[in-house]
Amino acid sequence: MHIMEGFLPSPWWELWMAIMIPIEIYGIYRISFVTKNNPKTKPLLALVGAFIFVLSALKLPSVTGSCSHPTGSGLAAVIFGPAIAAVLSMIVLVFQALLLAHGGLTTLGANVVSMGIVGPIVAYGTWTICKKAKVNSSFGVFLAVALGDLLTYVATSVQLALAFPTSAGFIDAFAKFGTVFAVTQIPLAIAEGILAVFLFDFLVKYKGKLLSTIGTINLPSALKRGD
Amino acid sequence: MPFGQIGARVDRYAYTNNLANTSAATKLLFALSVLVICVAAQSQIVPFFVFFMNTTLLLVYAKISAKFYWKMLLYPLATALLSCVLIALFFGYGEPLTEISTPWFTWTIFKSGVAMAVSTFLRVAGGLSCLYFLVLTTPVTDMLITLRRLHVPLILVEMSLLIYRYIFVLLEIASQMNTAQDMRLGNTNWIIKIKSTALLAGNLFIRTLEQGERTFTAMSARGYDGEIRTLDDLPHPRFELIIGILFFDVLLILVSVLLPSQWSLLT
Repeated sequence: MHIMEGFLPSPWWELWMAIMIPIEIYGIYRISFVTKNNPKTKPLLALVGAFIFVLSALKLPSVTGSCSHPTGSGLAAVIFGPAIAAVLSMIVLVFQALLLAHGGLTTLGANVVSMGIVGPIVAYGTWTICKKAKVNSSFGVFLAVALGDLLTYVATSVQLALAFPTSAGFIDAFAKFGTVFAVTQIPLAIAEGILAVFLFDFLVKYKGKLLSTIGTINLPSALKRGD
Repeated sequence: MPFGQIGARVDRYAYTNNLANTSAATKLLFALSVLVICVAAQSQIVPFFVFFMNTTLLLVYAKISAKFYWKMLLYPLATALLSCVLIALFFGYGEPLTEISTPWFTWTIFKSGVAMAVSTFLRVAGGLSCLYFLVLTTPVTDMLITLRRLHVPLILVEMSLLIYRYIFVLLEIASQMNTAQDMRLGNTNWIIKIKSTALLAGNLFIRTLEQGERTFTAMSARGYDGEIRTLDDLPHPRFELIIGILFFDVLLILVSVLLPSQWSLLT
């Protein structure tokens, strides 16, 4: 979903940038709080960041000035909460813009809002609801990550439709962008959901204790082994 | 992995190009200010000019291989071109440019849609050239050190350093595991290949995390207290260069304001 450098016309990239900044400041506050209390979480945070980078570098170009790929930020949100996921996504998006010309610095605001804010909030919300409803945790992770991924693309379609109006208005433009994305994104979202379930199980099994110190996911005490 | 190759080559150019000894702050100021002006400008001549100038700087002054530069530009520009053709065909409103009539439907192409597509394409090209100027002349670590000098929150800079390192660790371990699977005939047919990929993806995460934790232990043993201290021996920006860049920025802004938005390739 990265919108490429320069693709958004003038009022829009500034607007998304302005929306991004306060949320990032809160995220930076959260991340320094977590790492100060427990410096051992730093490698895990960095790894999840690198994981987001690798996942979202697997891109399929789509003909809307953007492209389709798994996002990885959904899993980060489930583990660390949406604020930290937003910071990790921003760092990753800057690196992708710099190293792969995938996304851009001026469109950073728009890309962070869709991949780092909307996606993680949806994923985290879904995960919380699933946990409250006592749904099986694997299915919860799958649903959270898949929905987070899909909603990321809905957000991108909204951003593109606002910037590129058609004669029939916003809804028409949104439908045009949405259709192009939906074809590639629905299978990808399902694949990413399945991958996330495997990774989540791995993490809980081997790093349960570390995860429970972060405090966003409450694991049953039986799983709090390992470090 | 294609990223490994391109990323490594970009990294190599960043350290060895002819502008590598200019201060990173100067290059950041130049690339970012020009980028913002290029993307914010209403007229189409500004991005065109920016693209031309960055390309000249990169090829003539920084001595980047022209072949590599075009290869880097080709993929994003081809995607942008395709997207812009679609914008020209489907989007826009107001005054129609032409109408295509068939017995089944009439297709209207709008002037504003085509104008939008042309400016979008030029903006993408100009913006990309600024990005490439930055990455091909400045190593990522130099950028991060400069950011720390500018008092960007320390945790952000440090997480960036760690993530940057981990991206390469992740890719390296993936390629090692892939070689091991190849040697044990793990990629001989399609079904085995899928199974191997699944194994690789799952183990990669844990293997990298374990390597990261070993690094963390090693760092703690050497007195790591939550702050990575790197040798800050970057050259300081030269006054006359900064003034030159600011002067150039003002010139670009004047061009983008004085040449009205109608001054474009298509109106």
